[in-house]
Amino acid sequence: MKNKLKNIIVTVSFAALIFGLSVSFLLKPPAEFSDSERRALLQFPTLSVNSVLSGKFMSDFESYTLDQFPLRDGFRTVKALVSKHIFNQQDNNGIYVHDGYAAAMEYPLNSDSITNAANKFNFIKQKYLNETNSIYLSLIPDKNFFLAKESGRLSLDYEKLVKQLCEEMQDEKYIDIFPLLSIDDYYKTDTHWKQENIDDVAEKLLDEMETQADFSSLTENTLDVPFYGVYYGQSALPLDAEEIKYFTSDMIDSFEVYDHQNGNPMKVYDMEKAQGKDPYEMFLSGSLSLITINNPKALNDKNLVVFRDSFGSSIAPLLATGYSKVTVVDIRYIQSSVLDRFVDFENSDVLFLYSTLVLNNSETLK
Amino acid sequence: MLFSSIPFLYFFLPCVLVLYFAVPKCLKNGVLMLVSLFFYAWGEPKYVFLMAATIIIGYVTGILIEKFKGKALSKAFLAVSVIVDLGFLAYFKYADFFISNFNAATGLSLPLLRIALPIGISFYTFQILSYSIDVYRGDVPAQKNPINLAAYVTMFPQLIAGPIVRYSDIAKQLENRTHSFEKISEGIRRFVLGLAKKILIANTLGELCDVFRSTNEKAVLYYWLYAVAFALHIYFDFSGYSDMAIGLGKIFGFDFLENFNYPFISSTVTEFWRRWHMSLGSWFRDYVYIPLGGNRVSKAKWFFNIFVVWLLTGFWHGAAWNFIVWGLFFAVLLVLEKLFLKKFLEKTKIIKRIYIALAVLVSFVIFNATDMAEAIEYVGAMFGAGNMPIVNAEMFYYLKSYAVVLVLAAVGSTPVVKTAAMRLYNGKNTGRVMNVLEPVVLVGLLIVMTAYLVDGSFNPFLYFRF
Repeated sequence: MKNKLKNIIVTVSFAALIFGLSVSFLLKPPAEFSDSERRALLQFPTLSVNSVLSGKFMSDFESYTLDQFPLRDGFRTVKALVSKHIFNQQDNNGIYVHDGYAAAMEYPLNSDSITNAANKFNFIKQKYLNETNSIYLSLIPDKNFFLAKESGRLSLDYEKLVKQLCEEMQDEKYIDIFPLLSIDDYYKTDTHWKQENIDDVAEKLLDEMETQADFSSLTENTLDVPFYGVYYGQSALPLDAEEIKYFTSDMIDSFEVYDHQNGNPMKVYDMEKAQGKDPYEMFLSGSLSLITINNPKALNDKNLVVFRDSFGSSIAPLLATGYSKVTVVDIRYIQSSVLDRFVDFENSDVLFLYSTLVLNNSETLK
Repeated sequence: MLFSSIPFLYFFLPCVLVLYFAVPKCLKNGVLMLVSLFFYAWGEPKYVFLMAATIIIGYVTGILIEKFKGKALSKAFLAVSVIVDLGFLAYFKYADFFISNFNAATGLSLPLLRIALPIGISFYTFQILSYSIDVYRGDVPAQKNPINLAAYVTMFPQLIAGPIVRYSDIAKQLENRTHSFEKISEGIRRFVLGLAKKILIANTLGELCDVFRSTNEKAVLYYWLYAVAFALHIYFDFSGYSDMAIGLGKIFGFDFLENFNYPFISSTVTEFWRRWHMSLGSWFRDYVYIPLGGNRVSKAKWFFNIFVVWLLTGFWHGAAWNFIVWGLFFAVLLVLEKLFLKKFLEKTKIIKRIYIALAVLVSFVIFNATDMAEAIEYVGAMFGAGNMPIVNAEMFYYLKSYAVVLVLAAVGSTPVVKTAAMRLYNGKNTGRVMNVLEPVVLVGLLIVMTAYLVDGSFNPFLYFRF
């Protein structure tokens, strides 16, 4: 090829790419939501004298162009593949894939965050609980606990985390569920555990809280929606869809569930949310601050208050089979200081059930 | 606006190319000036007026310096230009440094001005200063066309992070330059490779530096990993930017001088500074060092001159003591080399490599410190102070995760890749393959870099703060 021809080809191909993508950007209608990242995408920023002079318009415009760029998900995948396969980077934006499982490399241990969580829990204990309450603590390991060592990634010092939290939270009984769990109990593309694999965990918790439930009558159901978890979008790597399975039984079907945040009765499994952006939200309708589950077929009249994060949504229905009433509280969405307006703690078992992910990033606890 | 940003690549640049090549020759400088002002205002809407004032003063004093050539007034107008330009620089960049040091020395508590640093002020101030001085010296005629002078100062390819283009180097090109597919494709090649250096190497190594700086799990060799990563990061960041500037210049018909020449293959600090940020080094040489007498004075005065130049070089990079110490660190090494070290090093093969590696790594650790206390802590830790383990798991993890990029960067910082590519280009058969591959590789690189930009927001240019 003669140099002249090459120079023309270089110039034309460069121009075709930058003009082509800029015209596609202008012609493409703006997207409102990113399914892969589960977030609203930025729209064209407000143009005003003030926003221009302050520079806000320019920075917002840049963010807008990143969000609305044509073939955005495809480009993100290209980046993830180059980072992983060419540069051999061990994680992409803190997310890695090992043996088909996508996980966040949660590291390092944030001792201040653990102390903050302990302080929140101690505040609840001191303000609302007394000798009529039995208090339990149980921690759910994140996927990195199972994957980090064999894949050569960094991970929290889980032993230290548990020890610190137990020491800083006194007078509660720690229920160790780590030995019951393995990586198979988690979704490959999501943070969370699978409800169909944690009946043994629920059984252990109920057993330690001195109540029983019969899980032999549980029926496993499969959602007819492909499930792509939160790490699918964050990793931007091509990963297969999964299935969400959920348990039903005569007892679970009889539960009377109430959403105190919105003042509505609700279902254990929200089939509308199952069809939505994050099907895992089908379990107790996702992120709600306060829910009560009344079990009319309960074999006792015991009450349980569960302080939980999103992992609690899928296990709470199983725990509710052992209680007459379960109150599910998420203090990421409600202030701890106002709980006595909504929750009756008298004579209740109280379980603090949190994932290590939330404990290590506990600034969200109120 | 950053070159390595979606708004630049897919909005600004296409619009500018259409505008620039659509207008007749006589309007091209006007278009360059207007789009450059827009480019600057995008990041600094308020400070565009400061730059405009600098240009107007430079233009007027330039004409007056020439008009009164040989008379005292000429020198007076040069003084006005220098005082105003350096005054702006001193006020906007150094005022708080002087106030805080004055407060520390006197025990007073004068309030700090807390002025945001105008982007690129150090670069365009030095450019306009070189213009005024060159006109005074009679090296170039004063520019009569204000648009041409404004186009020179504001020209967006080199406006905010250099290279420091001398007016004398492009005065003729401002009046008359050629455009061709050859020059444009050469510019595109240079721009895309510069962008790749910035986005794929510099930004990635910058992430490693950030990870190191934010962790509490440090180890001795982890400090060394950081030092290596930062030295390569700043080289690829700054030389990548210079490549992009030179490439864009070529697209618009200009030939800017080179700014880097593989500095990491140097054997001495003297050589290193002949290869690193050459436009700044030559600026200080021509406008400070030689006017002070250079090396044609007594030994004591010579060394004094070296210390003055390197004090100013350090201070140019930032209004903080670690930059001054960084500059003086080089001054000490340069003086030692002139006294005896260079002769000794020339006789060695390995020692000179160890020496330059240590000098460069330590210098950039000082350079990137937030203050002198951190600089001392980091340099001390590299040599075992701080009671830290030699290695830890985190260091091994990040070494593994960034090994490929570090190796690519290390190899890319030498002429090996360029030499190999030139051999292939010059081969009879391989030359054809290279010619076919070149457009494919360039487009492929641009797609990958777009992917990196779309994916993340980690994209700061280091040299903007200067």
